[in-house]
Amino acid sequence: MLGAAPGAAPSRMIVGQVQPSTRPPVALRNLLSDLADRVGYGQVVTAEAVPALALRGLVKRFDAKLAVAGIDLEVPAGSFFGLLGPNGAGKTTTLSMSVGLLRPDAGRAVVLGHDVWSDPVEAKRRLGVLPDGVRLFDRLSGAELLAYTGLLRGMDPAVVDRRARELLDVLALGDAGRTLVIDYSAGMRKKIGLACALLHAPRLLVLDEPFEAVDPVSGSLIRDILARYVSGGGTVVFASHVMEVVERLCSHVAILAEGAIKTVGTLDQVRGGRDLEDVFVEVVGGRTATGQELSWL
Amino acid sequence: MALTLGLFARLKLRFLANSLRGKGWRIAGFVMGCVAGGWFAVVGGIVFALTGVDRGPAFTLLIPAFGGATVVLGWLFIPLVWAGVDETLDPARFALLPLPRRTLIGGLLVAALLGVPALATLVATAGLVVGAAARGGVVAAVVQLGGSGLALVLCVALSRSLTSAFASLLRARRTRDLAAVVLALLAALLGPLQIGIVTALQSTGVDRLVRPAQVLGWTPLAAPYLVGMDVAEGRWLAAAGRLVLTAVAVVLLLWWWSRTLPSAMLGAASGSGPVRSGRVAGGPTAQLYPRIIGWLPRTAYGALIAREARYWWRDARRRANLITLTAIGVFLPVLGTLGATSFGSAGTRSPGPPTFAIALVGSLAAVMLANQFGFDGSAYASHVIVGVPGRLELRARAVGYSLYVVPILVVIAVIVGVLSRHPGQLAVTLGALLAVYGTGLAVNVIVSVLAAYSLPETSNPFAVKTGTGMTKSLFALVAMVGAVLAALPVLIGAALLTGAWSWVMLPIGAAYGAVLAALGIEIAADRLDRRAPELLAAVSPER
Repeated sequence: MLGAAPGAAPSRMIVGQVQPSTRPPVALRNLLSDLADRVGYGQVVTAEAVPALALRGLVKRFDAKLAVAGIDLEVPAGSFFGLLGPNGAGKTTTLSMSVGLLRPDAGRAVVLGHDVWSDPVEAKRRLGVLPDGVRLFDRLSGAELLAYTGLLRGMDPAVVDRRARELLDVLALGDAGRTLVIDYSAGMRKKIGLACALLHAPRLLVLDEPFEAVDPVSGSLIRDILARYVSGGGTVVFASHVMEVVERLCSHVAILAEGAIKTVGTLDQVRGGRDLEDVFVEVVGGRTATGQELSWL
Repeated sequence: MALTLGLFARLKLRFLANSLRGKGWRIAGFVMGCVAGGWFAVVGGIVFALTGVDRGPAFTLLIPAFGGATVVLGWLFIPLVWAGVDETLDPARFALLPLPRRTLIGGLLVAALLGVPALATLVATAGLVVGAAARGGVVAAVVQLGGSGLALVLCVALSRSLTSAFASLLRARRTRDLAAVVLALLAALLGPLQIGIVTALQSTGVDRLVRPAQVLGWTPLAAPYLVGMDVAEGRWLAAAGRLVLTAVAVVLLLWWWSRTLPSAMLGAASGSGPVRSGRVAGGPTAQLYPRIIGWLPRTAYGALIAREARYWWRDARRRANLITLTAIGVFLPVLGTLGATSFGSAGTRSPGPPTFAIALVGSLAAVMLANQFGFDGSAYASHVIVGVPGRLELRARAVGYSLYVVPILVVIAVIVGVLSRHPGQLAVTLGALLAVYGTGLAVNVIVSVLAAYSLPETSNPFAVKTGTGMTKSLFALVAMVGAVLAALPVLIGAALLTGAWSWVMLPIGAAYGAVLAALGIEIAADRLDRRAPELLAAVSPER
């Protein structure tokens, strides 16, 4: 089909990241091809011209503190974009403003050509979000939550049922049965949140700390899903401070500190042949321990 | 020990100060709370000080006995059914500290004592000290001071232990139905109290009240308030007995409180119930809809209603509200009806519907929605992400809640109709109830969008934040008055129309309520569309 948008995703996908030993089950492959079909649809025209997410001069101030001090960022369609930064750098604030959860004091956020704040309906239709530190409607069971999210998005009930079942199977949440999401473990909650974000096959996924509190098995599963999603023409933006994950997954990286972008580019540009962690520490400017402190430990 | 208690006290005050810093409307709320507390303190103090004026039993016995019992019962009921408790120092936060349980209870008690309501109560009951000094000199005053202090501890321990016990009952899936029943019964206790007050007001003879007051004086409800007068009149033994009685009650309450603490300390972290495995019939969308409303369309609107319907039962906080409403809602009109037939104008003409009770219940039903977004907290983010239209959202929420409330209102109307032996009453009552509920929806939907506030994410459904108790009560009061005023035409009609014409009130009242509710939703929907992110920020707990 139209899945392979000309010159878009496949070349950017990091081949070799998906380990052969973790071959996704049939259900996963079906789901992903389904998602890829949906994602690729209509991308022929826009993939090159329009960035998946464009931030222009975003500013947010909380009381006296300037949390985000004017961020300009362009996320190319089909990229796997990692937003790196130390705690309190403004990652969550920036992402919240990009997806319409937090009103910026100044600036714009444009999703695939649709301004999140002036044209929210079109922008939000193309957007899947996994926020961090936000509750889900957690007194529903996993299946109920997915059904709710799908119907809320105006999807066809039959499609919702089919995709919800597949997502639950793939993410190994099917066994939880009628357990309410509030009784899920932290990792399971991340997975159901991701499932909610994926359900309507968005063309841009914005994920805040998707790998936090996730065990290695689920982590590699989520990585698989995201890599496939990007190879199918989707775009992922995710915030993290786990270097290793970013290095393995991302095609593009931006380093954020004190509310401003310090470095941005493709992974190789940012690394410049060095270890990403070294670059990060240098850019952010952390202090190094001398070995004298905490002698009582 | 004393050092630790001091730490708890400073912690509480620091929390209070920090919560007010730089938040204009919170300071306003706090100031209003202080004003209300001050008003209560002054009025209460004057009433209690009257004990020193005269030696008649009306002053020396009835005022402290009934006044004191009112104070204690107020501490018992108000947090439970109305304002919630200030759980700034959530026990769960101390779970990891190596604190003996006794120290923790002491600290939490001290922290709970530091607040506007406690201070106001102390000032009010200081009126008794003044009275005792006037009648019995310094010794009586000192004894009464001890009694008043002990009474305050009793009040705080009572409200804390009770809400904590209910919280832990409501938390456990096994006991929550039991808790619901007990809570309902407790709220129903308001009924006999009301009867008692009505009877007391009807029989103006002071003599008939002396006996109950004497009995009351030997219960913890009023005992600590009488010790000053005992000493002034030379009944030393009685004073000592009453003090011991109160102290025993306090100790028992604290012990009870400490028993429920472990469950509260596990807090939200242990919210886990059983893993309910097993496949459910039907696809995910079919599971979302409760069977009784399974016919609703599989659309965003239907899904919203279904989720609301599930939430009013599954969320402990909402369920507690619903249960309280049911208990009060059934008992108040019943008493109103009984009161109207046994006292007052009975016999001269067919009694009108219990208008006051109807207005109260109808508006109380709607006021539960005054902070409907606060119930969801940060989960509301999912709606903002999807971009749910405000009109759809508010309509569905109103319908979802009405699925519970309208049947309750029907039951109330039927009971009133049966009790008053006038079937016509059924229609009038139901029409008036629906009208007030509808206008209440209109007012509260607007309030819920404009004045939402976050609820603490503890496992205690009665917990509120410092200062929000007052704000909440104020908004609720304004909303209730507004609702009743808006429904006044129907209420007046219901009170005047009797006989065959009374059936007309049912369609009129229902239509009136529906139209006004729709109007309120229209107004609020527009606001909601424009300020959804701000609403989300308002209901998200700060971290």
